[in-house]
Amino acid sequence: MRRMSVFPHHGTALGTLGLTANEIRQEVENKTSELVSDLVNLSAGGRFQAIRSLPMSFNERKTIRNRVNSVKLSKTILPADCRQQVSRSFRRFRGSLASARQHLVVWQGTLKEIGGRFGTSVLSYFLFLKWLLKFNLFSLLINFCFITIPQIVHAPNISSVTGFRGLELLTGGGYFNQTVLFYGGYNGEVIVSTPAYNMQLAYFFTIAAYLVLCGVSLIYSMSRSFQNNFVLETGPVSGGAWRLLCSWDFSVVNEKAIQYNKNNLGIQLKESLSERLLEKNKTSLSDRIKRVSLHLLAWLLSLGLALGSGAGIYFLGTKELTINFDHDPNDLTAEASTLLLPVVVSLINLIVPLLYSLISKMESYSNPRTQIYISIIRNVVLKMSLLGILCFYWLNSVPNNISCWESFVGQSVYRLLIIDFIFCLLGIFFGEFLRNVIGTMCIQSLGVPEFDIARNVLDLIYAQTLAWIGIYFSPLLPVMQVFKLFIIFYLKKISLSMNCQPPKHTGRAAQIQTVFIALLFFPSFVGTLSMVAFTVWRLKPSDQCGPFQGLKTPFYTIFNWIDSIQDPPETKWVWWIFENVLRSELFYYLITLIILVITFFLWQITQGRKQLIKTLREQIVNEGKDKVFLLNKLQTIQKQRREMASYIPQDFDQTPHFNTNWMNTLPFDM
Amino acid sequence: MGNKQTIFTSQQLDAYQDCTYFTRKEILRLFHRYRDLAPQLVPLDYTTGPDVRLPYELIGSMPELKDNPFRQRIAEVFSEDGEGNMTLDDFLDMFSVLSEMAPRDLKAYYAFRIYDFNNDDFICKSDLEKTLNRLTRNELTEDEVRMVCEKVIDEADLDNDGRLSLEDFQHMIVRAPDFLR
Repeated sequence: MRRMSVFPHHGTALGTLGLTANEIRQEVENKTSELVSDLVNLSAGGRFQAIRSLPMSFNERKTIRNRVNSVKLSKTILPADCRQQVSRSFRRFRGSLASARQHLVVWQGTLKEIGGRFGTSVLSYFLFLKWLLKFNLFSLLINFCFITIPQIVHAPNISSVTGFRGLELLTGGGYFNQTVLFYGGYNGEVIVSTPAYNMQLAYFFTIAAYLVLCGVSLIYSMSRSFQNNFVLETGPVSGGAWRLLCSWDFSVVNEKAIQYNKNNLGIQLKESLSERLLEKNKTSLSDRIKRVSLHLLAWLLSLGLALGSGAGIYFLGTKELTINFDHDPNDLTAEASTLLLPVVVSLINLIVPLLYSLISKMESYSNPRTQIYISIIRNVVLKMSLLGILCFYWLNSVPNNISCWESFVGQSVYRLLIIDFIFCLLGIFFGEFLRNVIGTMCIQSLGVPEFDIARNVLDLIYAQTLAWIGIYFSPLLPVMQVFKLFIIFYLKKISLSMNCQPPKHTGRAAQIQTVFIALLFFPSFVGTLSMVAFTVWRLKPSDQCGPFQGLKTPFYTIFNWIDSIQDPPETKWVWWIFENVLRSELFYYLITLIILVITFFLWQITQGRKQLIKTLREQIVNEGKDKVFLLNKLQTIQKQRREMASYIPQDFDQTPHFNTNWMNTLPFDM
Repeated sequence: MGNKQTIFTSQQLDAYQDCTYFTRKEILRLFHRYRDLAPQLVPLDYTTGPDVRLPYELIGSMPELKDNPFRQRIAEVFSEDGEGNMTLDDFLDMFSVLSEMAPRDLKAYYAFRIYDFNNDDFICKSDLEKTLNRLTRNELTEDEVRMVCEKVIDEADLDNDGRLSLEDFQHMIVRAPDFLR
């Protein structure tokens, strides 16, 4: 961006040089014509963007624009008026398209309102929710189009053993058992039409394509977020300076919220000052030992709780298996008992984080940010261990004991999601509404509850992991997830306005965003991917139901397909690539080696750039010193010049007293 | 695009659209907001380019700016006379820069000018103290105010002249992704 340092608003920069008004005007005129010629050379779109972003007052901008237009007019050969009209109307059209697109963006107004009342860190929760919604909608769309519709259109006889009872909505069993909601409702026939539609391949490739696209999108978002928010932590941002000038949230327009933010900023500045003072105090050895042992104890307790819950869930699961093995489909109580496991899981998810926050109260942290990160890590460990135990149980014990086990797994996931949703609703009601009532009416000291962003986002990540796990076993599961996310958005918004206040420590919202996206990628998505990959690669699909019946593993569909296209000559190259490239180990060794070499090169480049940045910083300091030196020198020269000019000529005799070559003695060349 | 409005000539509207980030509809809407502040002062016919300035008190009473601690500085920076009395051009300019479509560099430049209370193109310690007082009222003692300002200058001043120039400020902004998000 062009820095308009030559348009000084009070002429201070040039004024110190002692130039006359005429010279200043000449300078300004020169710069303006330079600017105009630069602008003329840009493309049309770039030109108008550049004009708009000129940091001058409106009238000056208009003058520049008129000059640029007149120069352009004089240069063109074609009827200038017509051409300008066309390009202008095209640009206007594009602009109106962009603004129309903004209207279509769902929830645009609501999000602005939330940002205005609560600030950007709370807004980030809702943006995260919207992003997850997009994933689920996409999955729903492709699953529905590619898998469900062909199945419905060419459906075999689906005989349901029982009629529709209300309990199905909760348990997913019964009536839903053989429908297209679950894996068991699909069969792997090749639909005879032109061209032939192979259901097995369709099922496999749709799920695979969706997971690959998700992975790519997550990696992309994660790296962009990392690049924007984490890199180059050195310099002015590492201290607390940025807080004063950069952290004021200008998007907040609510008066109470602004007062609140002011108080917060004051508290944060005080804290950072006291941190600086505290650094100087050394803690004694016994204090440090006490603190470290407290930390160790807290970690032991947390891990113990997580492991204990995991073991409990596993035990419950195996018990459920023995009940479930042989039950009469009409038995309502047996079906309702399948709800026990999800309820226990949700209870653990509710109670144990509260215990964790109690534990963390007894520890003392030097930095509130460390506290947030540690609590996030503990909660993630808990949730992922629960999910891990469940996956282990599903992939290990279930296939051997139940026929049509994939539908059973799909139903379990469905139950978990529904119960989690119900608990979320209860949590909003009891956790926020009632607590607000208690806090304001009964026990004044508790106060209004804070909106705990970390806990809410982790809940979202947990639900999304479940949804991803369930996609293979139940292709239409995203319907539920979409529905759930919609309702949660509105309920949270209402609850927020009525009950909560924004969190106190809002610093570094952007960094926490990156952490959340990274969490969504690393334990959540990678875990899902490995689980689905294991199912597809190793496990034997059930014999009586599903699209992969009769195969050794679901991956054999690919082998069969590749074999089938071996013979026709036009597709022989696909077979060749598959057999000799993708199935050979040498290929993967080579790729790994190349990637390692490239990574090493890029790392070296990064090191070199860091060195460059350091050198450039030193150069800026030196330039500043040079500037001061030159300005002083210029001022003394100007003063000398003025003194020389004020000599009265009669005082001179014929020989000049001053050296006409004095200009050559100057240390710089102008 | 029917030319049903008679407030501006088409050349004026074109100039507005080219020089700000707004579309035609938004410009007309902003004009009506401007007029609503003082209907008796602002004529409905701008084709002759009347010279109408709304005093700062009216601008500062707008709901978007009412609670902003920097509203006076914002009005001063964007107004032609430097006192906060804004013509329609200044008004459009101000909201164009504050809108979402303005690039971060432009906002950084204007933020610098807003924080520069004495208009000398540098943010010196007294400017920082005034900023701090606007942002936190009565929370910090004199000493703390002074220490915070010293810390800011220490960390952000790259060319070591004891005050922040525009380049120092922009360097700091680029590194802080939370700015004006």
